[in-house]
Amino acid sequence: MRVPVSVKVGVFSLVVMGGYSWFANSIPQIESKPPQELSLEGGNVTPAQLVKAGEEIYKTKGTCEICHKIGQKGTRAPDLAGVGARAAKAKPGTSAKAYLLESLINPGAFIVEGYPPIMPAVDKPPIALNRSEVWALTAFLESLGGTVDVTLNDIPATVGAAAAGGGAAAAEVKLPGDPKLGKTVFTTKGGCLACHKAGDIPGTPVGPDLSQIAKIQTPDYIMKKILDPKGMGTVSGFPPGVMPATFGQTLTAKEYTDLVSFLLTLK
Amino acid sequence: MSGAESMRPGRAVGRSACAAGLLLAAVVLILLALPVEAQQAASKESTYRAFPLLGSRLAVWAVAQLHLNFAAFILGVPIFAVIIEIIGWRTGEQRYDWLSHELVKLTFAAFSTTALLGALLLFLFVGYYPKFWAYMTSIFFPTYWVYALLFFAETFTVYLWYYGWNWLSGPRKGIHVGLGVLSNLFGTAILVVANSWVTFMISPAGIDESGALKGGVWAAINNFTWMPINIHRLIANIVFGGTIAGAYAAFRFLAAKTDEERARYDWMGYIGNFVALSAFIVLPFAGYYLGREIYAYNQTMGITMMGGFMSWLWIIQAILIGILFLGSNYYLWLGMERIPGAERYRKYVPPMLVILTIGFLVWATPRSMVVTLDEARAMGGTHHPLLGFFGVMSAKNTVVNLMILTTFLSYILYRRANKIPTTPWVKTGMAIQWAAFGAAAVVVVFYGIYGYFVESIVRIGFSVYQVLAVIGAIVVVMALDVPMFKGARSTGEIRWGTIAPRSQYVLILLAVTFTWLMGLMGFARSGIRQHWHVYGVLRDTSAEAVTPALGYAANVITLVTLTFFALVMFIFWLGGLGEKGSPEGAHGHAAPVMAGGSDRDA
Repeated sequence: MRVPVSVKVGVFSLVVMGGYSWFANSIPQIESKPPQELSLEGGNVTPAQLVKAGEEIYKTKGTCEICHKIGQKGTRAPDLAGVGARAAKAKPGTSAKAYLLESLINPGAFIVEGYPPIMPAVDKPPIALNRSEVWALTAFLESLGGTVDVTLNDIPATVGAAAAGGGAAAAEVKLPGDPKLGKTVFTTKGGCLACHKAGDIPGTPVGPDLSQIAKIQTPDYIMKKILDPKGMGTVSGFPPGVMPATFGQTLTAKEYTDLVSFLLTLK
Repeated sequence: MSGAESMRPGRAVGRSACAAGLLLAAVVLILLALPVEAQQAASKESTYRAFPLLGSRLAVWAVAQLHLNFAAFILGVPIFAVIIEIIGWRTGEQRYDWLSHELVKLTFAAFSTTALLGALLLFLFVGYYPKFWAYMTSIFFPTYWVYALLFFAETFTVYLWYYGWNWLSGPRKGIHVGLGVLSNLFGTAILVVANSWVTFMISPAGIDESGALKGGVWAAINNFTWMPINIHRLIANIVFGGTIAGAYAAFRFLAAKTDEERARYDWMGYIGNFVALSAFIVLPFAGYYLGREIYAYNQTMGITMMGGFMSWLWIIQAILIGILFLGSNYYLWLGMERIPGAERYRKYVPPMLVILTIGFLVWATPRSMVVTLDEARAMGGTHHPLLGFFGVMSAKNTVVNLMILTTFLSYILYRRANKIPTTPWVKTGMAIQWAAFGAAAVVVVFYGIYGYFVESIVRIGFSVYQVLAVIGAIVVVMALDVPMFKGARSTGEIRWGTIAPRSQYVLILLAVTFTWLMGLMGFARSGIRQHWHVYGVLRDTSAEAVTPALGYAANVITLVTLTFFALVMFIFWLGGLGEKGSPEGAHGHAAPVMAGGSDRDA
């Protein structure tokens, strides 16, 4: 009996696709589940429970393991073994928990030398840890060679605001400033171009390139950094103490908001 | 032909044009009315509804992928159909005009199905994901109008292009070709508008922290992944169109009753494979560009895509691409058997096969393996001490560039199979060509090895040198080959229709594999968003927010691909019904006689 061409072609196609499906089913099957919300506020939690919860966040919702390893130097991010002890000495005058907390919610403030500034703020989408989760994660990091002493009160109340409501719910920062006038402040009175490049404004590379500053930093950080550059830390690879701490006095309130508005357009 | 018979095609044309017009109007009305419905639905605070039995996610996934497959086909095929028509117009060779018409006929038959699936997808979004749809509408509403207008323009132009084939022939052929070009421009514009929606979901831009549009819609359209996906999809559509056209030709070849028919569809299959292969060679470069932009948008997303739960997906992709490379080359080598004079090039086949096979194996080597603790201890980690070296980007970039070079060499040998050049500078030309191949291979291998000794940020830059070396070699070799073989002595005519039947199964394999690969890439594109409808902005809070494992995804892709081919066969069968009993084919297009063939360049 002669087999019709359509049957031959159909069987052949089925075998090919079946082979692909079989192979895909024979390799490791990993699902990506949406993270669970953890709430510890108001509850009595022992340090051990906190560290355990933090470790879980480290491995799952925090997605920390994508770049960080414990006991192994990564190419994208530092080894976290012993970070609880190292954190106390990383920034003079800053406690271990304060340093770890800053690293989590404002990771651009201090970059470990030799690594790119790629870490996202963990309390912002897409990671979007809530306040309890940041607390637990800080405790876990402290436990890696240090003492767990972080309390919920150490975590600012604003942390995780973006996580509430499942993203798209963070309070919008609306500034009354005019970005165009802010650009003028940047190039004239502020004299920022003496040290910073910003988009199409060429600048001397004494300080970091600000061309994408609004993408990698929060409005809060940018505003504070202008007024208190020392207090906000120095970006790794750049000399400390160069940025003047006098903008709070030399710029008018209008010029300041204009300048911040301009910087927030740099994405 | 009797008078009644001669009236039939005219009536059929009128009926189908009316039906298509009504369908189009309905689709456009739905498109414009549904945003309002969506907003009303969303205001009732119904975030999700459950699709019966299948679940909403699977329903949307299947329909979206089917729609994408059909859309890719109807957008990809006209691109090379119009080029083939232009070749026929300028050379006066009827076989090209016939082929172009045959290709547009296939597109035309699939046109309504694409629109219907698009409308169905819209129903699913509005009905089952109203909050998501309302949000997308709040950002992209102005583009809906543009999309609808483009859809009108595209439909009318394609109809005019297809039905005006005879009317706009002879001295008016230029106008007809112009319609073909115009329909491609409208089609591409539709593609880029739709891409803005899907890429916004991956890499949202132009919005504030609350997710609202900050300024104009342009900033949302021009997001990080928009242009890379435009380019990647445009090229992939051409590959896809070529493979489907090739598979159609293969089916007709296998079912052919006469030598003439077999020869005709052998030639059509060759052209389909040629088109697919030409575009396929540059597709990996477009893929790199897309990957780079994903990293530039969000490192976490890029790392999740390549090194997170999706890392094994790229192993499957490598296997599929390896099969496509091997299949395309094998088809060319089988095709050389029907060309007198090609025997002298047989000796090149084994080394080329070795390079392709090694490349395939290296590309499919995973970086790390899932092993038991004992196995890991014995191996000294999850990276194999030897094979682990082949799992990194340096090795993969090197082999894919060598595979592209080898495939290009296959094509060059096929191209000159029945020709002996007579130009006086042949020896010099050949020497320069081989030197270009050799130099490109050396550059590719050098940077591949050097990449192991530098930081990753430097290593990424090396891939640019490798790509430039390969493209440079292709340009140099082709620039010499064309004049060198002009007026070449023929060693005999290509015996169209005498190719081994197994070659036709290779064409079907290529079509099935590429369609399956498109499904896999669709899963990758959506999967990297994980539990977000719009990444970092609108979270998927439904019960189906889990991104499934590869096995489940593969089963869905297989079912969708099966459905696609079943629908395509049905549509092609329907399209062919109108021509049954007509010796000339649709619209009086005489099929060319090819048996004995031609030795001219395709």
